[in-house]
Amino acid sequence: MLTLLARDLRLQFRRGELLASSFVMGVLMLLAFNFSLDLSPDNVAALAPGILWVAVLFSAGLAAGHGFVGERENGCMDAIVASPLDRGSVYLAKFIVNLLLLLLFETMLLPVFALFFELTVLPVLAPLALVLLLGSIGLAAVGTLFALVTVSGGGRDLALPILLLPLEVPLLIASVKITRVVMAGGDFPWADDWVRLLLGFDLLFVVAGWLAFEYVATD
Amino acid sequence: MTTVPFLYKAESLLMRLLPLPVALGMLASLCAVFWWVPTERVQGAVQRIFYFHVPSAWCCFLAFGLASVTSAAYLWKRHRDWDNAARAAVETGMLFATAVLITGPIWARPIWGVWWTWDSRLTTMLVLWLVFAAYLLLRAFSGERDGGSSGARFAAVLAIVGTLDIPLIVFSTRLWRTVHPAVLKTSEGGTGLSDPRMITTLVLCTLSFMIMFAWLWALGARSLRLDDQVALLEERGDRLAMATGSNTSSGEATV
Repeated sequence: MLTLLARDLRLQFRRGELLASSFVMGVLMLLAFNFSLDLSPDNVAALAPGILWVAVLFSAGLAAGHGFVGERENGCMDAIVASPLDRGSVYLAKFIVNLLLLLLFETMLLPVFALFFELTVLPVLAPLALVLLLGSIGLAAVGTLFALVTVSGGGRDLALPILLLPLEVPLLIASVKITRVVMAGGDFPWADDWVRLLLGFDLLFVVAGWLAFEYVATD
Repeated sequence: MTTVPFLYKAESLLMRLLPLPVALGMLASLCAVFWWVPTERVQGAVQRIFYFHVPSAWCCFLAFGLASVTSAAYLWKRHRDWDNAARAAVETGMLFATAVLITGPIWARPIWGVWWTWDSRLTTMLVLWLVFAAYLLLRAFSGERDGGSSGARFAAVLAIVGTLDIPLIVFSTRLWRTVHPAVLKTSEGGTGLSDPRMITTLVLCTLSFMIMFAWLWALGARSLRLDDQVALLEERGDRLAMATGSNTSSGEATV
């Protein structure tokens, strides 16, 4: 599993286009929001958390489908599935790669986000990073699970966000709420229902993805 | 083609038994809703839509529940019949879910003054609709009858995961909007069902809708089964044509 993980990481970073395209997509979304919402210093504090998360959600959703495309084209997925590795580990490796990519993408997007909207994120960086991490775990879990749809033939032409976004509604609501608290200068609200919801979502989908790979990714 | 006997019997039985009860039940429901039940005093005639709205909602939950159970059975047994059963359940469920989303705003406009509000129940219903719309899109895009069953497997995963997600959606949307408690209270059928005839009508409509759901599900599953059989026969016909064609022409049979 570690070998697979290392291999996937090397592949992704050597090419880098996935990360680059999500980054550009994210910046474009920030730009679109800036124009469509007519942001000003009075409303930016209320709107910024939502903008950040919608940008992350869509960029991640669009990117999720491409992580496996190379695998399909060179028939690598068949080889991986045929290998003695148990498929749950394949999922975990893919999940971790996606998670790392997503976190890297967020690290790149965050300064742009702060810069564009005149936000001070440095004082709240630690709790903000924690929200992003928790949200990203859920996003990577769902994304990895359904990215298999695109690699395994069925639904190749279906835009992945159509599948992902309805499922991600709880994650979006919870993440935006926590981000708002955190960006207002509050501590990370550990005891809050929203955090519990987010943790529950992460747990549910990591387990569901692991089980689904174990039992579904066979042929 | 082998079948799952239980499903085949259930379909056949429902298809044979239900047409008359469905017709009678729906007719009786219509009569009850439009003539028999007294008009609700506060809300007026528009409250009558409630007798179709609530049974539709129940049927759609029933349908999506059935879809996730049959999807799980499909993943376990890997038999096409289970997949067809799940798909028919989702298709039927979407019909009722759409009915809920259409009848709801018609009622809400005169009563709440808005067509739509982002109340927990409304949001949950919409998200549910979107999840299963994605299911149907996935089926449409995955090139059904392609011989491969990957589309079916992922659709099954989506149905199960979508169902598991429902509690989270309900929880999150309820937490999200706690500022409109009044809306939640009135959505319980306004001032309550004051007249016993209202309760009778609701029960009658719910039963009729459930029977109709069972019937539609059986029809849907049967039609998918027949599709499968047609595809199988066509394939067999093609193979036969190929075999005879190669005999007469070159003798170099390919497959």
